[in-house]
Amino acid sequence: MSIERTRNFCIIAHIDHGKTTLSDRLLERTGTIHERDRQDQLLDSMDLERERGITIKAHPVTMRYRSKVGESYLLNLIDTPGHVDFAYEVSRSLAACEGALLIVDAAQGVEAQTVANIHLAHKQGLTIVPVINKIDLPNADLPAVHRQLEEILQIPAEEALEASAKMGIGIEEILEAVVHRIPAPQKPVDDTLRGLVFDSVFDIYRGVVAYVRVFSGNIKADQAVKLMSNDSRYEIKEVGVFTPKMLAQAGLKAGDVGYFIANIKTTADIKIGDTITDQRNPAREALPGFQEIHPMVFSGIYPINTADFEHLKTAIGKLRLNDSAFVYQPESSVALGFGFRCGFLGLLHMEIIQERLRREYDMDIIATSPSVIYEVLTTRKELLLVDNPAHLPDPSVIDEIREPIVKAYVLCPNENIGDILQLILEKRGTMDHTESLDTRRVMLHCELPLNEILVDFNDKIKSVTRGYGSMDYEHAGYRAAKLVKLDLLVNGEPVDAFSMIVHRDRADARGRQLAAKLKEVIPQQLYQVAIQAAIGGKIIARESVSALRKNVTAKCYGGDITRKRKLLEKQKEGKKRMKSIGKINIPQEAFIQVLKTQ
Amino acid sequence: MKSELMSNGAIHNCAERTSAHPIRHVYVHIPFCARICPYCAFYKERADPAQTERFCLALLAELESSGLRLNLQPETIFFGGGTPTALSTSPLRELIQGFGDLLDLTKLVEWTVEANPGSVSPAKAQMLRSLGVNRISLGVQSWDDQLLAVLGREHSAAQAELSVQILREAGFTNLNIDLMFGLPGQTAAQWEATLARTIALQPEHVSAYCLTYEEDTEFFLRRARGELRADEQTDAQFFELAMQALGSAGYRHYEISNYARAGYASHHNRGYWAGEDYLGIGPSAFSTIGLQRSQNVPDYRVYSDRVQAGESLTSSEEALTPQIKRSESIALSLRTSEGIPSHWLDSWNDEREEFLSLGLIRQDNARVRLTERGKLLADSVAAAFV
Repeated sequence: MSIERTRNFCIIAHIDHGKTTLSDRLLERTGTIHERDRQDQLLDSMDLERERGITIKAHPVTMRYRSKVGESYLLNLIDTPGHVDFAYEVSRSLAACEGALLIVDAAQGVEAQTVANIHLAHKQGLTIVPVINKIDLPNADLPAVHRQLEEILQIPAEEALEASAKMGIGIEEILEAVVHRIPAPQKPVDDTLRGLVFDSVFDIYRGVVAYVRVFSGNIKADQAVKLMSNDSRYEIKEVGVFTPKMLAQAGLKAGDVGYFIANIKTTADIKIGDTITDQRNPAREALPGFQEIHPMVFSGIYPINTADFEHLKTAIGKLRLNDSAFVYQPESSVALGFGFRCGFLGLLHMEIIQERLRREYDMDIIATSPSVIYEVLTTRKELLLVDNPAHLPDPSVIDEIREPIVKAYVLCPNENIGDILQLILEKRGTMDHTESLDTRRVMLHCELPLNEILVDFNDKIKSVTRGYGSMDYEHAGYRAAKLVKLDLLVNGEPVDAFSMIVHRDRADARGRQLAAKLKEVIPQQLYQVAIQAAIGGKIIARESVSALRKNVTAKCYGGDITRKRKLLEKQKEGKKRMKSIGKINIPQEAFIQVLKTQ
Repeated sequence: MKSELMSNGAIHNCAERTSAHPIRHVYVHIPFCARICPYCAFYKERADPAQTERFCLALLAELESSGLRLNLQPETIFFGGGTPTALSTSPLRELIQGFGDLLDLTKLVEWTVEANPGSVSPAKAQMLRSLGVNRISLGVQSWDDQLLAVLGREHSAAQAELSVQILREAGFTNLNIDLMFGLPGQTAAQWEATLARTIALQPEHVSAYCLTYEEDTEFFLRRARGELRADEQTDAQFFELAMQALGSAGYRHYEISNYARAGYASHHNRGYWAGEDYLGIGPSAFSTIGLQRSQNVPDYRVYSDRVQAGESLTSSEEALTPQIKRSESIALSLRTSEGIPSHWLDSWNDEREEFLSLGLIRQDNARVRLTERGKLLADSVAAAFV
């Protein structure tokens, strides 16, 4: 198909607004798949994705479409990860397209994620085709949604298509809009191969399968190619398109979207956003926008049972094969034994990895409280990146600590504005501005430290607004803050798993809270146990666990003896499973309890 | 039944093997109670008079068959329960007489029967004494009528005092009074008064048990529901009050919950703590013979049926090992005033040092013993040594 008859587009939407259903309908209507062999939600292949109704990995698919006037088109649908944790991956997927379908739920209206995604699409210069979906719902409010599109997203009301993917309404109109409104790929400037690698997956039989959008030149089997970020060289084994199954082709040309396979060992070897070019006739410059991905959120992952370390190591290694954004390195903790310091793109990414370890690999794991990566400027003007509180240098050599900031969009019903403002304030956020979405809802634009929204910000928004609020964010650089390391000491000895970097103004309250929680979970010992929270050498909170006074079985006669012995054996066995900190035996459950409250 | 047992080769061999070690302690479980106390986890039921005769015969039949396979030379017999004296005088007499007939009692030094105040008539007391019973353990629990009501006891303090009088008049010169502390709502003053009144009655032996919330009891459920609360600090204080009061009244604290005047420590119970073999007769009774511990079926009707049918009475068995016996010896001996020989603990020096420095144990004459403070933490110490 000629480049004029090719359309590359993606679908962007808030969770549950119907992206996957619409994708399936497009595949059916174009005859790419038939209804009888379709599984629900065809493009999402991981169980976890399906369960959470979110897409983590982008799966392109090529469709053929004959328009109303009888012209044939090649449509490449690139499914994007919806969540902002994967903003870079989303941006590379968007970069492979010329246009985007923006799906908005007819009953729910514009949500925070819609706004965040539209911003990304605008940055890529994509043509937006707005689609109001689920118009069959009894509570659909089309005028309100049209108004929101106009007011919040500056999209003229008449541009929005109305559809119900579920009922199959408006699908034809959407396809027509794709071919008529979204521009064809630009004609290439020359014949030099420039291909954008926008994702890759690991296949145990075939190695890495890279997804590629060709901007100029051709890519075909046996071609000698190289990746421009690191000059690594490969020979192409196979190229093809997704129909949605992989279908080998003689070659891919400018404007095409497909895959190539080239003896690449792991997904870490081929970076998303890289440019593939010809070895003999290389492009002089790479396609714009390539970045190394840096994890934003870190957490220690440990096996609950220390004997499972090797098992965990294998499982983490396997996950990494298919997810190059996930990084890890071994670490050990006095409290938790051997484990891994893991880096994630964001909170959702972290939850997904942890959940996959539990589910797919059947691991019992404990995760330490998530932390972000801090920039530490030393007095000698060195800039250190610190992702683990344990590695924070001594305060005396720190000139400044900077923390990552996010620009957040919080959408909430009018009546909750006060509570949400309060929440943002509690999280050390600053308000930028607010705008009314309609008569019922407002959108708050604010900046927040990433660290503050790691744990419960989203949950709190949901609970304050009884589920009606939503939140999304994008990264917005680093800013200096009064940050300190908070340590918890048990009988004078710091417990590494509990150390954290917190804002100075929060440290006292946090210290008190953690010390009190620790007091609850440390079992009584034969002597008094002192629990302290400290910043540097300064104690900011203390608690004590009083000494055990009485632990003795009253009756010990014939029938009691076995029971008594088993009781003692159990006590002894329990002691073995405890971690000894400053001579105090702390059950592992205590660590888990405290880490949970963080 | 006799021939069946004798034809069983295993049992025969067993008898040969064990005959060299006479069994010196016999426990008999009488599971009847006039009333079910809400804290008690022992197997007991309300007595069904129509069943008691058959049950007493079953006990004697079990004893007889045990005598055929084991070398029984009892130095102590202990009738516990339940409440043995819940049996009326005549079946109790036949039972006691039956024991006298079936057993060689030439070595017997102590024959204890547990009794509840209110279930000991002068006639019953005299019968017991005349048939060789020489020690009564009286379940007084408290001298406070209000607390007795909390415990669901049938008797009053006045009745308990009368029982002591009856037993003394019947000629019992070895009397134990069972007490409980850490009761719901019990004050230190109430406990001190109970101790003082006990001491004033001059029993030879006092057992003072901290209330334990045993599973499968009403008290356990009530505590789980938050109606009752165990308070470690108060329990510890009451334990200390008992040690002080009884100690200064001349009672020797010879085991965690037991105090006796010189020469009146319970031989039977010391047998348990010394790891000696014992034979248990009756439903739910435990026996430990050599490295075998077993429990009889804990239902007196099933028990009686099985005895009658000549079937095995065992409901559960546990094979002990020398290591287990050793662990038990340490745990049990540690609870006694003798303590344990120091050389038993050679490989646990770290813990020993810690316990010494915390003042939980002391070491003299090559023995390790619990201090007063250590007695309150006996399980913590024992857990390190088993």
